[in-house]
Amino acid sequence: MHRIIAIVENTFKESLRQRILLLLIVFSVLLIVISLFLEPFALGEAPKIMRDFGLAAASLFGVLTVIILGSALIHRDVEKRTIYTVLSKPVKRSEVLLGKFLGLSALIALLELGMFLIHQLVIFAYEGAFAPSLFIALPFTIIEVMVLLGVLLLFSSFSSTTLTSIMGVIFFVVGHAMPDLKLFADQTRFATLKVIAHGFYYILPNLENFNLRIDLAYGIGLHADQIVFALCYGVIYIVFLLYLTKIIFDRREFK
Amino acid sequence: MLYKSLIPYIFSAMQLAIELRDVDRSFKNHFWQRKKQVLRNISLEIYEDEVFGFLGPNGAGKTTTIKILTGLIRPDSGDVSIFAHPPNSLDAKRKIGFLPESPYFYEHLTGREFLKLHALLHDLKHYRKRVDYLLDRVGLVEAAGFQLRQYSRGMLQRIGIAQALIGSPDLLILDEPLTGLDPMGRKEIKDLILEEKQKGTTIFFSSHILPDAEAVCDRIAIIIEGEIREVGDLSALLKKGTKTDEISLEQWFVKQVEKPRQGS
Repeated sequence: MHRIIAIVENTFKESLRQRILLLLIVFSVLLIVISLFLEPFALGEAPKIMRDFGLAAASLFGVLTVIILGSALIHRDVEKRTIYTVLSKPVKRSEVLLGKFLGLSALIALLELGMFLIHQLVIFAYEGAFAPSLFIALPFTIIEVMVLLGVLLLFSSFSSTTLTSIMGVIFFVVGHAMPDLKLFADQTRFATLKVIAHGFYYILPNLENFNLRIDLAYGIGLHADQIVFALCYGVIYIVFLLYLTKIIFDRREFK
Repeated sequence: MLYKSLIPYIFSAMQLAIELRDVDRSFKNHFWQRKKQVLRNISLEIYEDEVFGFLGPNGAGKTTTIKILTGLIRPDSGDVSIFAHPPNSLDAKRKIGFLPESPYFYEHLTGREFLKLHALLHDLKHYRKRVDYLLDRVGLVEAAGFQLRQYSRGMLQRIGIAQALIGSPDLLILDEPLTGLDPMGRKEIKDLILEEKQKGTTIFFSSHILPDAEAVCDRIAIIIEGEIREVGDLSALLKKGTKTDEISLEQWFVKQVEKPRQGS
């Protein structure tokens, strides 16, 4: 356990000290603050637009951060040979993998919390009251980022940083197009396409399960079973991705 | 003369720190290329408490052998053990300290944070004392709070040695520890190796800087094109095949490299 905590701490610090992170934070904070000035374009729906825009900005921050930092997480260590000294210590490869996953997840979770708090301040500045119900979206935003990080670690365990980043973007886009894919799978008349589309629908991560923005921004009630399903789906998917990555990482050679 | 005839018996009574038996390894850079044999039938026995120099020209297979010893890659065939454990087992890794060739470390960590990380990977409970001791020993107390990206090449090599020593290893594996260092840096690293030798640590180190190897090694092996050409006591090897006085390691090494390969 000490070994995993050491790697979590190291990954957290290393990622926090990347200069690109500062740029991402500034960009996202600006995006959240800009929602204060959207009123002229909001056609009387300013509070709802502000909520939706802020949550989307916080989510985008998490996704950009995880793709930029997560895709290089293992590859950078291999490229710079820092992994050699770590793996020569009495530590299992699965512990290194888990430590890196949890370290970056913890950092992004903390920064996401910061983004949500800034969003609350922006809402308070406009409305004179906080909107604490929006915090329900926080764990789901973090889980979505963790699922994407699982995908990135899986690809980075056997491919380059560039390919891993591209796969991260593809999984993010496809993951949010899952309802459309399901609709296509149900309605297409071609049997082979139907099977393939259904296959992709059940195998690829459905990130729309974690998207509560519209429901929260427009005050649509959330059902407990929807929340429980999304949580369970996220946890199972993350465990599945990490297990798959472990199998590949255990067999990997560092030539 | 008597002690030389006793050497085989002395070694047979000592415990083996490293054993490689008939190890082969080949690579291909791209899937369309043919495999290139990098190691051919490598067999070596390194005993406890000895300083063993693993010498060879660039591309001879030194780093590949070291990666097999540290569990970073696996041999295609043959057996490898570290203190009778498989090299990728936690039991073997607890006994090893490893410094890779031209090491790059987590550049945003400070020297102290870097050593703390490696101490915790060894499950050291009282790591602060050990970190302080090693920072002092490698002369980096003043630089302990600086990030590693601010370190010079020599400082990185010294912090690298410190991380290798953090778990008080029984076996130090050093891949080209003296390459790229200025004379002072080389002296400092050599002194550290000799101090560890006096403490009874087994040291396996690769190098192509021969005078340095000559200064610290008990025994050496020469690897050329993936084959072990010679293994043995350094002074005996240097006298072998010469009717006159002992030649320098450099002269002897050049002779070995120029020798045609067996069977060719």
